[in-house]
Amino acid sequence: MLVLASWLREIAPFEADYAEVAERLTLAGLEVEAMEPAYPWMDRAVVARISRVEPVNKEKHVTLCTVEIGSDEVGVICGAPNVREGMLTAYVPPGTEMPDGSEIREAQIYGHLSTGMLCSMREIMLEGDASGIFDISKAFPDARVGHSISSLLGMEDTVFEIGITPNRPDCLSMTGVAREVSAIFRVPLRLPESRNVFSNVGDGDVSIEIQDTELCHRYVGVTLKNVKVASSPGWMARRLVASGIRPINNVVDITNYILMETGQPLHAFDLDTLKGRAIVVRVSEEGDTIVTLDGKERKLSAGVLLICDMKRPVAVAGVMGGLDTEVTDKTSSVLLESAWFAPWSIRRTAKMLKLPSEASYRFERGVDFDGQLRAAQRASDLLSELAGGVIEGLKDENPRPYVPRSVVMKPERTNSLLGTDLDARAMANILESIDIKVKKADRETVEILVPSFRPDIKEEIDLVEEIARLHGFANIATASPVGELIVQAVASDKAFEDNIKTGLAGQGCSEIISYSFISPDEIKALGFDEDDRRNRFVRLKNPLAEDQSVMRTSLVCSMLSAISRNHKKRNMDLALFEAGAVFIDNGQGVLPDEEHRLCIAMTGRRFPQTWAWQDREVDFFDLKGVVENLLYQLNVRGSAFKASSAPEVFYVPGTCMSVVSGNGIALGTLGQISAGVQSRYKISSPVFLADFSLSALKNAVSGEKQFKPLARFPAMDLDLAIILNDSVRAEDVLHFIREKAGGLLEDVSIFDVYRGKPVPKGRKSLAFRLIYRAEDHTLSEVEVMAVHEPLVDALLEEFHAEMRS
Amino acid sequence: MEDQLREIEREAIEAVEKAADKKALEELKVIFLGRKSRLTSILKSLGTLPKEQRPLVGKLSNQVKVRIEEALKDRLQALEAGRQGPELIKGFDPTLPGRRLPRGHLHPITQVLNEVCQVFEKMGFSVAQGPEIELDFYNFEALNIPPDHPARDMQDTFYVDEKVLLRTHTSPIQVRTMEKMPPPIRIIAPGKVYRCDSDVTHTPMFHQVEGLMVDRDVSFSHLKGILTHFAQEIFHKDTAVRFRPSFFPFTEPSAEIDIQCVMCRGDGCRVCSYTGWLEVLGAGLVHPAVFRHVGIDPQIYSGFAFGLGIERIAMLRYGINDIRLFYDNDLRFLNQF
Repeated sequence: MLVLASWLREIAPFEADYAEVAERLTLAGLEVEAMEPAYPWMDRAVVARISRVEPVNKEKHVTLCTVEIGSDEVGVICGAPNVREGMLTAYVPPGTEMPDGSEIREAQIYGHLSTGMLCSMREIMLEGDASGIFDISKAFPDARVGHSISSLLGMEDTVFEIGITPNRPDCLSMTGVAREVSAIFRVPLRLPESRNVFSNVGDGDVSIEIQDTELCHRYVGVTLKNVKVASSPGWMARRLVASGIRPINNVVDITNYILMETGQPLHAFDLDTLKGRAIVVRVSEEGDTIVTLDGKERKLSAGVLLICDMKRPVAVAGVMGGLDTEVTDKTSSVLLESAWFAPWSIRRTAKMLKLPSEASYRFERGVDFDGQLRAAQRASDLLSELAGGVIEGLKDENPRPYVPRSVVMKPERTNSLLGTDLDARAMANILESIDIKVKKADRETVEILVPSFRPDIKEEIDLVEEIARLHGFANIATASPVGELIVQAVASDKAFEDNIKTGLAGQGCSEIISYSFISPDEIKALGFDEDDRRNRFVRLKNPLAEDQSVMRTSLVCSMLSAISRNHKKRNMDLALFEAGAVFIDNGQGVLPDEEHRLCIAMTGRRFPQTWAWQDREVDFFDLKGVVENLLYQLNVRGSAFKASSAPEVFYVPGTCMSVVSGNGIALGTLGQISAGVQSRYKISSPVFLADFSLSALKNAVSGEKQFKPLARFPAMDLDLAIILNDSVRAEDVLHFIREKAGGLLEDVSIFDVYRGKPVPKGRKSLAFRLIYRAEDHTLSEVEVMAVHEPLVDALLEEFHAEMRS
Repeated sequence: MEDQLREIEREAIEAVEKAADKKALEELKVIFLGRKSRLTSILKSLGTLPKEQRPLVGKLSNQVKVRIEEALKDRLQALEAGRQGPELIKGFDPTLPGRRLPRGHLHPITQVLNEVCQVFEKMGFSVAQGPEIELDFYNFEALNIPPDHPARDMQDTFYVDEKVLLRTHTSPIQVRTMEKMPPPIRIIAPGKVYRCDSDVTHTPMFHQVEGLMVDRDVSFSHLKGILTHFAQEIFHKDTAVRFRPSFFPFTEPSAEIDIQCVMCRGDGCRVCSYTGWLEVLGAGLVHPAVFRHVGIDPQIYSGFAFGLGIERIAMLRYGINDIRLFYDNDLRFLNQF
């Protein structure tokens, strides 16, 4: 809402400076977002002296004027007949935006450079002559060259740009804002006088029928004749421009002016174009059409509220008028409409037709229930004063007259909700300051009547809010709540996920956060089987772009895209992870399955390229190590890596391991991303990736840790290197050793893997370290060998292995 | 006597540290510790001292002797290592950069979000979560935003179908929590939210933290207390805080909370559009209509709710000028936090 300061002061004569007004309004809930000059073109226009006039085209009165502006001189081409040497006039420099939206530019005209423009009074929106340039010498002989026109005329003014919240439609008008100002600064509210113009008029021979009184509570129609359509006086045009409304002609401008003044949207029809001098307010039927003011033909679906004459729709109620019945230069009779329409209906229509307007904006928030007659009166008054209109008749169809409801507020409860200590009288005073009628105010209750202009006030809390904001939030004490220390906590996975994130960061992985919406192609690129549930993605109805049109069903898409984007920026060495939701569609009208997952990926160099580290690329075991550490950190008991029976399709075949919990639940997978997927994501180096379900991981976590007494007797380490077929899996050998070694084996690890000479082709050497220990005595060599030697023999036989010498 | 001993120690150590070679050290050893040295003569004369002084001087003399011997030994080692200064060892260059393990970084949003949650967790709020794809009911209707209400324009919504949408705020978690448990309630609910909006200051996905406290006798005064404390914990303990009336359909009275600009400390700068204030929080007393939706009696209980955008706090905190950087996941960005 753009509020012109001088107009505001006319209604609520405040004395504070504008900065204070802005601050106080903001602190009362009307946020002043900006303060701008009201007439910037007038601030830029200056008094100039024409020092020389040279004719350029005599027939058309075109001259080249040399113009002094302060110490500078410029040449301006001018077509005004009244130019003369020595004359003081108004000059607008290039770069100025004029009230009609055009910009003054430097130009070559008739072969001369014209810098800026000499203006008529009309051109800068002053009342007066449009036939020649502004003759300042005549009106202000003492004007100084270089002075701005706005200061010369005392027309400097400011516009407050106020953000009005949707609950305050009353403040979408000068009256509403002024009411707030009057309450804040304790100045009287001086609403414009309204002459009782309807005292002696009949019904104007117009019929008004409201068919749907649910959607239209009231329709006031005023007919006027002898209207002379012309342009509006400067003062009105200026106020409209400052309010962000373009002046059109006096009739339309008056409806807009009253809209700004009262908040009540009005519409003027050319009465002679209405068939049958009748208004019918009804709901559209399928197939109704209307050509709206903007020249577009609109086919309406059923249920739109329409204003019709005897034959056809002439306006979309509250949204836009029809082209056929518009007021034009030829109009002499006018039907003025001032009505109340149901907010939700207007909102639907405006949305459907994509036609937001000043009128629909106010109707959909709720205009004054009882303001129609007064607005019609004010507008009729101005139409007769400024457009020569003669009021013929008035018809006020008011099937549902406004009956103010009463709302009761309890002072004690109000104080307890706000933390204040106000008495009933103080509360009543606050409410009265914004024209709320207080019926009763005692210790138990304050009872009020809801004013017609406050559709937002429905119950006690709405009054509590008024007390709070006008008493001032700053005047409410700042206090610490007192309550039970222990309250029931809700279940959440945040602590668990944070623990994972911190652990992974400690292992050198950086966290990424990606958009949850992706392109369907990103899912396709993973090549899931047709029946994979991850093909069931949720699609947005109104995405910002196709590449953000579906919700991800896998974090792998987000991860590979992030790697790809980093590669483009030459960030090649990446260890990344993301924890977040994926969404599997469950059909219309129900929520999808929302699963939290974890994705880890590594690519490029394992270590920073410094003197301190070996320079090598990451491999599968770097990633597997990260995953093993994570499982260890989380205390996931008995989890195992297994070759997948149904490997993920996006891995290189044979690299996919699945991780299962001790009780056989699948936790996730890891592997190397296949060449096909890699190239679809435009990634050129190998990527190792792990994909986990966070909920499965959380369920697999054991909360228990059991202390084991520290060993008191020494262990005996024995190393064993054997050569076996390359196809034998280390896991199987380790398993065999653990099974067969018996109770003395404390631990076994692989400390070397070797292929190449002198180990024969197709074979490999594995070196194990076995740690033997007894809990209750120091082991002797004989004792250990009695276990170890048969174990080695069995091992060699089982795996067709031989000792490495 | 004591002074003499200290003087000997000082002289000896000074000379030892300056010694250029092994030979010089041997000479010094004779001078300071030899049979004809001053120290030896003091030790020899112990017997002539008064009885009560003997133990003290004896102890001190021995200390001095040990220190000189140690200095001789250290210097000898240094000379043998073949370097001029005592800190240099052959083949060892401690100025080489350390062997740093690759370090990972938590996303700045995660870091700020955790910080915000911790402030409230310390005050007994527990973390709650809810679905990111929500029913219209929880996102709007139960929060007192009926269909066709102009307040729906305050948030540009991504729809999945008539009834299902991407949540536009974390406020549905309030409703889901109140449906599940009776007061007293203290929760803090972080999460991703979505709005169709994209430019330098808006991304279509961002993070919010929602808070809710419901109990008997919770007042606007308490809301001010908790949120002032929060702002001062997150920004600066002297940060000025301003509460301004505003409108949210699910709270009443509603407030927007500004903090004194963290860049200019209130003098006015580009970051705060020369107002001296930055809007960081929305809050208010829970609207009775919301309580009625979840079956909590607004005559018995009251409460406040608040919400804030994490990206905005992170941008202020780190001086980030383009919100889109958060979701580019460029390693050069992530590595800075």
